[in-house]
Amino acid sequence: MKTTKWFSMMVALVMVLTIAAGCGNNAGGNAGNEPAQTDTPPADGPKELEGKLVVWTFFDQVKEMGAKFEEKHPGVKVEVNIFPGDQYQTKLLSAMQSGNNVPDVFDLERGYIGKFIDANFIADLSAMGIEEQLTDYIPYVRELGRAADGTIRAVSDHSSPGSFWYIRENAKKYLGTDDPDQISEMVGSWDKIIELGKKVYEQSGGKAYLMQNAGDVFDIAAYNTEPWVKDGKLNIDPKWKTYYETQQQIRANNVDAKLGFMSAGWGNALNDGTAVLSAMPAWATFMIDNKDDKAVGKFGVAKSPEGFYTGGTYRGIYEKSPNKELAYEFIKYIASPEWQEYNLGKTGNMPASGKVYQDNMDTFKVNLLGDQNPMKIYYELVNEMPGIAPDKYGEEVLSKWRKVAGQGITDNTSYDDVVASFKKEVKNAFPDIQVD
Amino acid sequence: MNEATREPMRLGPIVAKTVMYLFLILIAITCLVPFYSMFITSTHANSDIARSLLFWPGDQFMENYNRLIETVNIWRGFANTIFITVAFTCLNLYFAALAGYGFSKYNFKYRGGLFLFVLGTMMIPGQLGIIGFYKLMNALNMLNTYWPLILTGIRDAFGIFLMKQIADSSVPNEIIESGRIDGYGELSIFHKLILPLMAPGLATLGIFSFIGKWNDFLTPMIILFDNDLQTLPVMIASVKSQFSSDFGAQYVGIVISVVPILIFFSIMSKRIISGVAAGAVKG
Amino acid sequence: MNSKINKSHYGYFFIAPFFIGFAVFGLIPILYTFYLSLTKWDGFSDPIFIGWDNYARIVQDTFFYQAILNTLIIWIISIVPQLILALVLALILNEKFVRGKHFFRAVYYFPHIITPITLGVMFSLMFDWQTGSVNKLLLEFGWVSEPVNWFNSPWWSRAIVGLVICWQYFGFNLIVFIAGLQSIPSEVYEAAEVDGASKLQTAWWITLPMLRPVFLFTFITSVIGGLQLFDAPLMLGNGPDNATRTMVMYLYETAFKNFDYSYGSAIAYAIFIVVMFFTLITARASRLKD
Repeated sequence: MKTTKWFSMMVALVMVLTIAAGCGNNAGGNAGNEPAQTDTPPADGPKELEGKLVVWTFFDQVKEMGAKFEEKHPGVKVEVNIFPGDQYQTKLLSAMQSGNNVPDVFDLERGYIGKFIDANFIADLSAMGIEEQLTDYIPYVRELGRAADGTIRAVSDHSSPGSFWYIRENAKKYLGTDDPDQISEMVGSWDKIIELGKKVYEQSGGKAYLMQNAGDVFDIAAYNTEPWVKDGKLNIDPKWKTYYETQQQIRANNVDAKLGFMSAGWGNALNDGTAVLSAMPAWATFMIDNKDDKAVGKFGVAKSPEGFYTGGTYRGIYEKSPNKELAYEFIKYIASPEWQEYNLGKTGNMPASGKVYQDNMDTFKVNLLGDQNPMKIYYELVNEMPGIAPDKYGEEVLSKWRKVAGQGITDNTSYDDVVASFKKEVKNAFPDIQVD
Repeated sequence: MNEATREPMRLGPIVAKTVMYLFLILIAITCLVPFYSMFITSTHANSDIARSLLFWPGDQFMENYNRLIETVNIWRGFANTIFITVAFTCLNLYFAALAGYGFSKYNFKYRGGLFLFVLGTMMIPGQLGIIGFYKLMNALNMLNTYWPLILTGIRDAFGIFLMKQIADSSVPNEIIESGRIDGYGELSIFHKLILPLMAPGLATLGIFSFIGKWNDFLTPMIILFDNDLQTLPVMIASVKSQFSSDFGAQYVGIVISVVPILIFFSIMSKRIISGVAAGAVKG
Repeated sequence: MNSKINKSHYGYFFIAPFFIGFAVFGLIPILYTFYLSLTKWDGFSDPIFIGWDNYARIVQDTFFYQAILNTLIIWIISIVPQLILALVLALILNEKFVRGKHFFRAVYYFPHIITPITLGVMFSLMFDWQTGSVNKLLLEFGWVSEPVNWFNSPWWSRAIVGLVICWQYFGFNLIVFIAGLQSIPSEVYEAAEVDGASKLQTAWWITLPMLRPVFLFTFITSVIGGLQLFDAPLMLGNGPDNATRTMVMYLYETAFKNFDYSYGSAIAYAIFIVVMFFTLITARASRLKD
């Protein structure tokens, strides 16, 4: 009988709660459907912005962006909704298709921007005049927001350059110097790296390696090669063969410590220096243990043979948003040096604007790096990188290549075999791509 | 067989018991250690978490906690999740027991076929259905409400299956008969006589559906829009910077979210036993 | 028994809520998925109707066959120890003299509470071939002479995924078994004790046969759930030569990574057929024991 009582209590509770839910939700519902007040401002005097923007993203720092924009334009309210995880894309797609509860501005990650960029629900920012704002942008950052028709559809507020980080003490021990310029020179090409790597391995008696992982070559090569799909056909840049052989040599000569990017061993090697050089993006410093400032001045940054970047977030406007003008002001704001300068100081994220790079090059410091000004190195590297517009296959094809070729390096497979099984995977996953 | 089984008991029940307890404890350790590590991890900084399994407490708990509450309204999420989970679990238990009992004890036409249909609904992978589900909820105007999260408790094929099997083995037909003789209606028989008998099964299903709902990530993420309406798992996963997750803060969130599960589990786990006492008295 | 006949139509009222709930919330997504499987759709443009082409593609898709095989292998590796362990522990914990029953039962369920993120982080830390604790232990004891590169070997990868799943779910089956054991009236045991049956005899001749409905439940849900393995293998990736890519992972990859929702939908239905097939076999096999 006790159970019955207990159960009927639960049922009663449910009834009450469910009714409460109904009430609560009606009040909270309908996010983002309030049209902005688009009163035309008086002809004279600066236009004061008013209205409400809904921004969708997958990470929480966008709130800060909204807050800064609100601070600048007190009449504006920015509501930031965060949807973490892979399925953010599914949610965005579903919402766009239904046309209800749609955000005015939404974030797209670099990994899948190519799939969204040509969709008809993303507003053409070029037509609204964004190109003017992007004239001093780092080319690769700007071009990643360009659709197939040549118009800009999305804008990023940062670049995410990577290069070689090293522990100064270890560099002295194994390379004979900790000077960034000298080291940059010593590792200026892959051939030099292999030769130097052999020496480091031998001189340390097999205890230290020059690089963390041969796979770093993929990351660096990925954005310095031709697009994977051209005119509907699979296009394997001939440079990949060289890169592949470079990796094989790196592996065969013990140049790398075989530690995967961001793995536990990788993090340990970065901190204790069993590998001299760690190829990593500027944002990966959270892996460095800086408790009680013990890593201050511990590191140096040298140029990698070619520039590379990892990750990036782009922001677009919903084509049918009733607040397009205001949304455009928001995009313009994140493209401005004003915001990017603030963001650099606050989070250390490298800017997208070349001007911000130049203005801070001599002053911006990272305490882990001591006196070195890392922006100089990053600026040179990012400027060299080709601007490539995204397409819907690029990233997925690259990840297949990374998988198959990475496996090939481990098993020491020949390049031709790797290409053959790569083609098989691509053909299966994307029947629309012509594979010969 | 007789010899083999009795010998150790006769020779040394203590040895047999020791072996048994060692076995129990060994397995318990494999389950406890990762769980313990989860708590410990919440007291460390991000740079440590990604590098090794942690077993010694660190001193970063409050820092991690502060970063967590700075970015998300975690206690609001806690309340939301409790509300959704409790409502869902109650609906789920009641209707699963109802249908399970119906399938078990009433010999209606097409019973076998209908039951197979119920099982069949579990066999289609749900990952893609989420798109259709979104469209449907949009059409029914239920987006950004808790209705889709709670009402789906009615149609839980897994629960119905479990309750049917429990009813098959623990509800004697004589009890139903005696209820009918006493002049109870069919539904009051179910409420007054059957539900108490099914208590062990209800507690079991309660554990499953409570924990499952508590940890549900995808549906709330897709259905809800306002940050303040979101559930704990979604809020916890939101604590990330542009490029990487803030594991330290996320682990604090996970610790917060595990506590109610443990409480609910220990209450329900005892019910599995006490239900039997009730059943024994009846029987 | 006799009044059961004229009351049996009441059963429809008892099961009606499920079917109503299903019609409202479940049916349309399933039908929509089926409709998608007959189209070509990348999520952006409007779906184009193409008939059965996607199904024709599946029939020739060797990667899908490999995924079926992977799923079955991982499933068998995980399910056999999982059920045995759960049953043995349930029988032990059902004994009156065992101390700390509540404690053990709770602890055994812990792995099921741990969220996938935690699990992923933990296992990659444990099985990392250079820094992982498992290899360190093996080296310490001298059982291996050099670290094993677990995730470079298809069979180790599958075994580890199977192990993780076994570890994660045995507590789940344990609870079901205990609930089943608890529903056996205690008079049965008392009678057996009076007859002088040993513990093992009681277990074999009395307890296990009475657990049959519960066994049927665990077998069938293990097939239905186990063949839709997703979370645990996903955190460890596709593995070498895709050795740990399960059917649902393949679906997920196709639909949400490659944005081929239509082919993904067809895969969903193909998985449905595979699961149905193995469920029927299991159901048939379990009935044979009657």
